[in-house]
Amino acid sequence: MYLMDTLVFISIFALLSMSLNVEYGYTGLANFGKVAFFMAGAYTYAITISLGLPFYISLIMAALIPALIGGLVSLPALRLREDYLAIVTLAIGEILRIFVKAEQWLTGGVWGIAIPSIFGGLGLSIEMMALANVLFSWGIVIIIFVLLRLIINTPYGRVLLSIREDDIAVKTLGKNPILYKAQAFMLGSAIAGIAGGFFAQYIRYIDPYMFLPLLTFTVWVMLILGGTANHWGAVAGAMIVEMFNRGSRIAKDYLVLPFDPHNVQFILFGILIILFLLYRPYGLFREKPLKTGAEVEILKWQSSSSTK
Amino acid sequence: MIDVGQVLVNSLVTSSIYLLAGIGLTLTIALSRFSNFAYAELVTLGAFFGLFFLGHAGGSLILALLLAFVAVGLASVVSYAFVFQPLVERKSTLIHLMVASIALGFIFRYSIGEAWGWSVLSYQTMWTVYSIGTVKISSLWMIMIATAVLVAVFLHFFLTRTKGGKAIRAIACNPDLAAITGINKQKIIYLVWFCGAGLAAVAGVFRAADTRLFPMMGWEIILPIFATVVLGGIGNFYGLIVAALIIGLVENIGVALLLNFGLSTEYRIALVFLILIVVLIVRPKGLAG
Repeated sequence: MYLMDTLVFISIFALLSMSLNVEYGYTGLANFGKVAFFMAGAYTYAITISLGLPFYISLIMAALIPALIGGLVSLPALRLREDYLAIVTLAIGEILRIFVKAEQWLTGGVWGIAIPSIFGGLGLSIEMMALANVLFSWGIVIIIFVLLRLIINTPYGRVLLSIREDDIAVKTLGKNPILYKAQAFMLGSAIAGIAGGFFAQYIRYIDPYMFLPLLTFTVWVMLILGGTANHWGAVAGAMIVEMFNRGSRIAKDYLVLPFDPHNVQFILFGILIILFLLYRPYGLFREKPLKTGAEVEILKWQSSSSTK
Repeated sequence: MIDVGQVLVNSLVTSSIYLLAGIGLTLTIALSRFSNFAYAELVTLGAFFGLFFLGHAGGSLILALLLAFVAVGLASVVSYAFVFQPLVERKSTLIHLMVASIALGFIFRYSIGEAWGWSVLSYQTMWTVYSIGTVKISSLWMIMIATAVLVAVFLHFFLTRTKGGKAIRAIACNPDLAAITGINKQKIIYLVWFCGAGLAAVAGVFRAADTRLFPMMGWEIILPIFATVVLGGIGNFYGLIVAALIIGLVENIGVALLLNFGLSTEYRIALVFLILIVVLIVRPKGLAG
């Protein structure tokens, strides 16, 4: 059971860190309000399901609404310098959380909302339900993973990458970087929203205190440790950090230590991040060069010319 | 009914905290050209050092302020030397510097949590409250406002009349040109990181004395501080003073208005964030730009 719970949380974080990867890893947008879109997804799911919609519609809504919010936010904000964008997204995350806290009629305020599980009405045993959740969540992860890989390997994906490298160059080629950035931002927000929707149905109760800026930072830790612009890195980062989280919780509950493992864990995260940024800024998994048709030809040509 | 006098006094108190905490942030961004989020924790660190020194140095507020100033200034200089300086040398991106500053903030915050615990504490000092008509003002508030005014006046003369102050402005304006004229950039940067963080510590002590202290306190006011800095224009000292007054007023008039309209007072801080976002989008250079 504990293992399954861990697996579900890893999948949720894997989705979040992949969504940040789309924004930051590939397109170079620093979103420090990730948690806002996760929360928007969770609340959208909770509210739509309480209206009696089937779960798959709610889950789609949980992707669409955050994408919409992401689009609205990004259009003015994306023209900003990158660190200002980070501050704006951080502030938006807080505004959204204050809204959720204050508007009780819609969100239940600080008392939160209860959400039924997708697998609730099927008469499954607790173990089977946990298994169903694991399979469902990893199913989503795999679908998103494959989709993102496909997207990045298209000309569209290459435009995103080139925006990260030099958006003036992109402009000279007749592409509007703002438009592409907004789309990447919406895509990232949609993925975060799905993660939120799934999270809501899994834990079956949400309140505003679950969506603190700390979560955004955890996702950043995952991405930087795992490796930016590499989806394997994003998933691996989610796995490592979540195991770390669990480990410190177990240590707190079962070991007598002269210090609080929870505090030490975050101090270590801080040190680890700084060391990574200093000595291995690209993370554990390095970004792979893109395999384009032209490159394959060049490799062929090189190997044939060296054998001559 | 809104008591105008009381709102004004409350605003001045809020403004003086944002002004004190904002000076260091605006100058370090102007000089080092990245946003240091660990500033939040420098404020918190100041508050907790204040608690420590109040307990161990005879309970004098002035002494606690001075000691907290020096201790946090040193923490800031050390963090610059070991974290930011090497990153800058490695030509880290803006975002990496920012993530590093958040990571550094975590190290500070959880160390504070480890040392003092996570419960909400207070200085437990009583301040005399004076009434002028219907307006109430405590002796602490008078000290806060007086300190902010003194620091502002001092900085005005420092920045315009002394070599050090002129050097800061020169580097902020054009680092290469400043280096050519023989200004030691490194020395000035360390000076600003020390004094700026010291002032953030003073703001932290005041905030803690006025309300409470807990490891998240700095994080709770970092965005309003950023709002002040951005509204004033990065590196613009006079803009900062005006911005601090505006943000203080907005927060306190906001509370009164929200109550009048029957909205949750939670939105008071959302108002400030809204200003931050609008200013960044419409006038990224701040009021004067």
